[in-house]
Amino acid sequence: MIHTTDESDIQIERRFVPKAKDISEDIAWAQINKDVLRSMERPRLMYWVIFLASLALFSFGVYCEVYQYQTGLGVADLENPQVWGLYIATFIFWIGMSHSGTLLSAILHIMHADWRKPIYRFAEAMTTFSLMTAGLFVLVHLGRVWEFYYVVAYPNERWVWPNFNSPLVWDATAIGTYLTSSIVFLYFGMIPDLAICRDNAKGFRKKFYWFLSLGWQGTDRQWANFRVAYLTIACFLIPLAVSVHSIVATDFAVSQQPGWHITSFPPYFVAGALYSGCAAIITLFIVLRYVFRFEAYMTMPILDKTCRLTFAIAMVWTYLNLIEYASVWYGNDEYAKQTLIFRATGTYAPYWWAMNFLGSIVPFALAFKSLRNHLPTMMVVSLLLNLGMWLERFMIVTPTFAHGYYPWTWTGDWWPSWVQWGIVAGSFGWFSMLFMLFCKIFPTVSMYEVKEMVYHRFMARKARA
Amino acid sequence: MSLSNLIKNWSSLRVKRPYEDQYKDKDYKWAMVIDLDACTGCNACTTACYAENNLPVVGREAFSKGQAMHWLRIERYWGEGEHMDKFPDHGAQFLPMMCQQCESAPCEVVCPVGATHHTPDGLNSQVYNRCIGSRYCSANCPYKVRYFNWWQYPERAWPNPLEQQLNPDVTVRSKGVMEKCTFCVQRLTEAKNRARTEGRRVADGEVTTACAQACPTSAITFGNLADDKSQVARIWERQQIKLASDKQEKDENLRGYRIFEELRTYPSVVYLERVRDSEA
Amino acid sequence: MSSSNIDRRDFLRVLGISGAAATLAGCGNTSIESGAELVESYVQPEDFVVPGVGVYYASTCTQCGSGCGIMGRVREGRILKLEGNPQSLISGGKICGLGQAGVQVHYNPDRLTTPMIREAGAFKPVSWDKAMATLTARLGSSSTLSGDQIAVLTGEISGHQKVLLGHFLESFKSANHIVYDALSPAIGQAANKAVLGVEQPVLQIDKARLILSFGNDFLGTGPSPVHMAAQYARFRKAPRGTLIQIEPRMTLTGANADRWYAIKPGTEGVFALGIAHSLLQHQEYAHAVPAEIAEALKQYDKDTVSEVTGIHADAISHIAGMLWEKSPSLVLSGPSAEGHVHGFNNAAAILLLNLVLENRGKTLQGQASHPFPQLTPASGSTTALAKLNQAMSAGQCQALLVMGANPVFTAPTFVPFASNLAKVPFKVAFATQLDETAHQCDLVLPLLSPMEDFGTHVAGYQPSGVELAIQQPLMERLYPETRGLGDILLDLLKQRQPEAYKAFPDYYAYIKTAVTKAKPVFKSKSSDDDFWEDALRNGVLRLEAPPAALEAHAATVKVGKPQALETDVNFPFFFVPSVRADLRDGRHANLPWLQESPDPLTTVVWDSWVEIHPTTAAQMQIREGDILEVQSATGSVRAKAYLFPGIQPDTVSMPLGQGHTGYGRYADGMGVNPFKIFDPMYDERTGELALYATRVIIKKTGEHARVVKDEGATNLQQGRKLVATMAADQAELAKEISRVTQ
Repeated sequence: MIHTTDESDIQIERRFVPKAKDISEDIAWAQINKDVLRSMERPRLMYWVIFLASLALFSFGVYCEVYQYQTGLGVADLENPQVWGLYIATFIFWIGMSHSGTLLSAILHIMHADWRKPIYRFAEAMTTFSLMTAGLFVLVHLGRVWEFYYVVAYPNERWVWPNFNSPLVWDATAIGTYLTSSIVFLYFGMIPDLAICRDNAKGFRKKFYWFLSLGWQGTDRQWANFRVAYLTIACFLIPLAVSVHSIVATDFAVSQQPGWHITSFPPYFVAGALYSGCAAIITLFIVLRYVFRFEAYMTMPILDKTCRLTFAIAMVWTYLNLIEYASVWYGNDEYAKQTLIFRATGTYAPYWWAMNFLGSIVPFALAFKSLRNHLPTMMVVSLLLNLGMWLERFMIVTPTFAHGYYPWTWTGDWWPSWVQWGIVAGSFGWFSMLFMLFCKIFPTVSMYEVKEMVYHRFMARKARA
Repeated sequence: MSLSNLIKNWSSLRVKRPYEDQYKDKDYKWAMVIDLDACTGCNACTTACYAENNLPVVGREAFSKGQAMHWLRIERYWGEGEHMDKFPDHGAQFLPMMCQQCESAPCEVVCPVGATHHTPDGLNSQVYNRCIGSRYCSANCPYKVRYFNWWQYPERAWPNPLEQQLNPDVTVRSKGVMEKCTFCVQRLTEAKNRARTEGRRVADGEVTTACAQACPTSAITFGNLADDKSQVARIWERQQIKLASDKQEKDENLRGYRIFEELRTYPSVVYLERVRDSEA
Repeated sequence: MSSSNIDRRDFLRVLGISGAAATLAGCGNTSIESGAELVESYVQPEDFVVPGVGVYYASTCTQCGSGCGIMGRVREGRILKLEGNPQSLISGGKICGLGQAGVQVHYNPDRLTTPMIREAGAFKPVSWDKAMATLTARLGSSSTLSGDQIAVLTGEISGHQKVLLGHFLESFKSANHIVYDALSPAIGQAANKAVLGVEQPVLQIDKARLILSFGNDFLGTGPSPVHMAAQYARFRKAPRGTLIQIEPRMTLTGANADRWYAIKPGTEGVFALGIAHSLLQHQEYAHAVPAEIAEALKQYDKDTVSEVTGIHADAISHIAGMLWEKSPSLVLSGPSAEGHVHGFNNAAAILLLNLVLENRGKTLQGQASHPFPQLTPASGSTTALAKLNQAMSAGQCQALLVMGANPVFTAPTFVPFASNLAKVPFKVAFATQLDETAHQCDLVLPLLSPMEDFGTHVAGYQPSGVELAIQQPLMERLYPETRGLGDILLDLLKQRQPEAYKAFPDYYAYIKTAVTKAKPVFKSKSSDDDFWEDALRNGVLRLEAPPAALEAHAATVKVGKPQALETDVNFPFFFVPSVRADLRDGRHANLPWLQESPDPLTTVVWDSWVEIHPTTAAQMQIREGDILEVQSATGSVRAKAYLFPGIQPDTVSMPLGQGHTGYGRYADGMGVNPFKIFDPMYDERTGELALYATRVIIKKTGEHARVVKDEGATNLQQGRKLVATMAADQAELAKEISRVTQ
């Protein structure tokens, strides 16, 4: 990129500079490098606490899965008709989590929302890891996981294809594509930073970063190609993100069951996905800010913006949620109505009301500036929002099974076994373990883009000199 | 479904099924009629199904968790609209419920690997070897008649020498696969092979399902709907039930109906209404 | 209406050439499949064993006393499945669940495989020689026992086994063949005998236009359920008959009734007499009963009857009106009406209705006389057990042989059978599997399963003519150390009377000779061997014979004052045990198919439960799954509550058959045994135990557990059209096509 001192150029850039200062412009470029690279050296004690706790949870999840694998899915207390239980509910949850990374890194990139720059990297990592976690649930819930590759359309002697009518095949394809693209996007955006790491590392780490940075020298030609390629992938990723969760929604909407057979499911799912993803970003924002001493980069104004974004999405979700109820209520399908009433009054009513409260009422905390700027409150609120969103997924899957078309198989008191809870808990361990490892190995804050943010200050200094 | 086959038969694959007279020129379309007025709810059919189809006995623990494997279950309802706390003045309402072998089966479209699909003779088949156990078919079945192997039953349901009773014509299913009523496909295949060898069509009454065979009141009639003269086809016709219709236009005093017809599953099982002497 | 194709297939089956090759679906028609080529095995198996081909052999079901003809499907030498034998008029080619589970008796993993001898308090497996030596030392040629010192306790038994048993006892100058049936219909039989002149009349259900049944569960636990079900199917075809059931707790038959009435237990006789009173208003019935009965019946006006029975007064005249309108009718009494202190009177009062309505010869007939009365079943009773119990208690009984009965499990607490059994010095059990009684014996001899043994059976209920049912092995014996009861008895008899039995090397030779000797009766002209082969192939020997006439002894019916039942403050609930069609008295609780086969009315499996009416439960604040203690004067049991609308509100009911403690892995620990809370109540006339006369109190224990059942969270159809019902006058059954011939 060619830096000019042309005043008109600065004027154009200024149009996109937010009013509130997202980060202090006094930070020197060298300081940025130093701060970020330090995060890869010595984090606070809390890092190890979180990492080991995640590892323990993950190990327990692995234990549960091995037990389930060897004994059969019966240990999960799944039954006819409660055939999916927490596995599919949590699968949707993790797919949903993956959406905010794309929102921040791709959508806001195109929209030139510069405040995203210090936080998009970890959001993008979150996308990748939550997709990987979601993928695990696809495997975990399968009866014969060792035959999972039957879902993939691979060439084989007998020309046996998967059933392309099935939303699960769409799912597998979409998730696979999205995961691959996310990893590419995450890695690609990191290349300039990896070069910085390479330049500052010693020993085997130097070799590691040398290999990963693909010979990045920061030449003008490299930057120009990088910008174009990055934008291209971002544009590719946006429809993909929307389609992935729409397809997950069709898993339900395509089926005939009361409570699932609803046209508005795809946008409803996408909104829910962005919602839980943004809430998760708030949580991780607060954690990273503390653990890696990123107070200078993950600033309160940025949190404030993220919270406002989350609030907006929460309202969209609330609207679509009400639409879902209304379309069932005013619809002609008596059975769907029964299922809705069952949700509100039946066995799982406490969770339904909790879901609605956490999803639609609690986000109003985000509307208050004083609360938005209070970190402990935001931590609790963001966790509650995600709990609400997890309950939403639970309330989509379970009541339809418990109160579907066929009254003889209605279940009054189905509850998941410890194995299911163990695997769900293990998935959270797996996710945070991967995430924490990532933060330790890779630059969590995009150095080169933060440098862009303090660019004006730099230019001014240069002019003085 | 080979690629060339797919391309060659593209137009036939695009046809909306079922359509009128779909099976008119075919040899077989298996179908059933269950007379609910004759059914006494005695469970002879369900035991016959266990014996014929190698259904595992799951035991108290698994049964209490809803993991029973009865392909054919007898449901018992009390009077509709009445409260439980009155006497059931007109007895109980028994309903033998098994896979309805839908012509447009909700389970078939959603199976990711095509483990459940429609056979040319109108059965909704289940290929155990292909099944990966996603259970999507069960999730989408309005009748909830698909049963999943939650446990490794071959290891626990037939302690020696009970395993010697297993029917060699029927696969013993391992953990992780879905299963359901097959209309005793092993019997049908056997009969079809025999008939083919003799150069004829399977005659009416030559083959029947285990449940129909056992039923002490002969409440279950099984046969070939593609054969106009078969018992089943004649009952369907007399009851004015059309396979490819989702709303039957029939005389009021006819007892035949199909369950959840409005969902357009086009089941192959016709039930005949229970009759009660309202003056008694 | 049955097509000839059915006959063809069934015919092939009888010949043992039906069945077909293993399925080769989806592989196309190869030259082998199309018959152009033939693949032959290097190993030539035995006759009729063609790999991949199922062969059918005829035999007889021994799961209950109905004597249904069955066909066993045998493949590669293994019996796989039992089906009905169309040659048998009793089964009509059909089979019930209980019958099908017969293969699980044979393959039961808990089967006895060797003889066992009690040594130092524990069973020890021994060789057959040693076991027989022990047996013959006591009961062989040198035995000094005689008369009452020896007794044989069996369940219902018929055919040549019964004959051999009798001969065996005769050799000891004893007649102590005690037949014990815990669910004996003896009271009803006595009433039949008194009123109609026969113990068990033939019911022609299909000929009746109206059946009024007082607790008679002919579809579930009657004398011949499979045959009755076939008749019932015809009864329901045009012109459709109406079934009215009156009972305290809904049975399977009640569940199929057009109209079901809940009655206070034990007041069935009063209700029947109330109907009789109402019927006698019609001129044509006036002469049917003696004048003094007609006079006595005047006390049975509908309001009094209604008050006693708890059934609305209008129902009486309504039912009487229907009986008058729909002729011929059939009035049946059942165990729940008969199992009371005045059970005989109840049954007699119910039978009186048949006399009034002149159903004799129309829907009720006598059984054809049997050409071999020595083969007819010895029927059981509870008084027989009480007598044996007394003899054992007095130390008279020196040797006891037990087979097919499990009194340690089924005897009520006031008949201390188990403790008296200990006083018998030598106790031998003959069984395929150890049960509670066998566990207390000194010697247990493992029997061949019914799938491995020859035998002859005669059903106690012969619907038309006479059938001699032939049982033949459906496969080789599973365990070399097991033997048939007939063979053991024959061995013992050879020791006792060598001359008389030396002609018979084994039981097979014995019954073959016996059956072929009966050839003239069956008017067969074929050779002895052909006759025997035919008998084996058909599984049944039929003799057409006209039904016997029934007598009418209306005067034996005692018509007293209509009395309300006394209430017992300490035990406010009537206790009505229910008999499950599959488990019966508990002898089939070891069969996993039956344990997992839901009870038709509650859909509960693998367990016991307490049925209580929802309104009563609401008053007592009992929810489903609450563990209740059901306490009678003699004991108490605990089981989960099940809210059941088909029960009289002052009544609780529990199923019999569960609660085993020594009957193998599938029976032990499942539920509780209500036999142990029966009150010592006896029918006044016959002295039989009154099974339905117990009173109990219900206590909540505060514990709760999930009821193991198939039913989901609701038992209503919730607006779905699942089971639709049509009014009988709307349906045009006559125009329908049906397989069931009229």
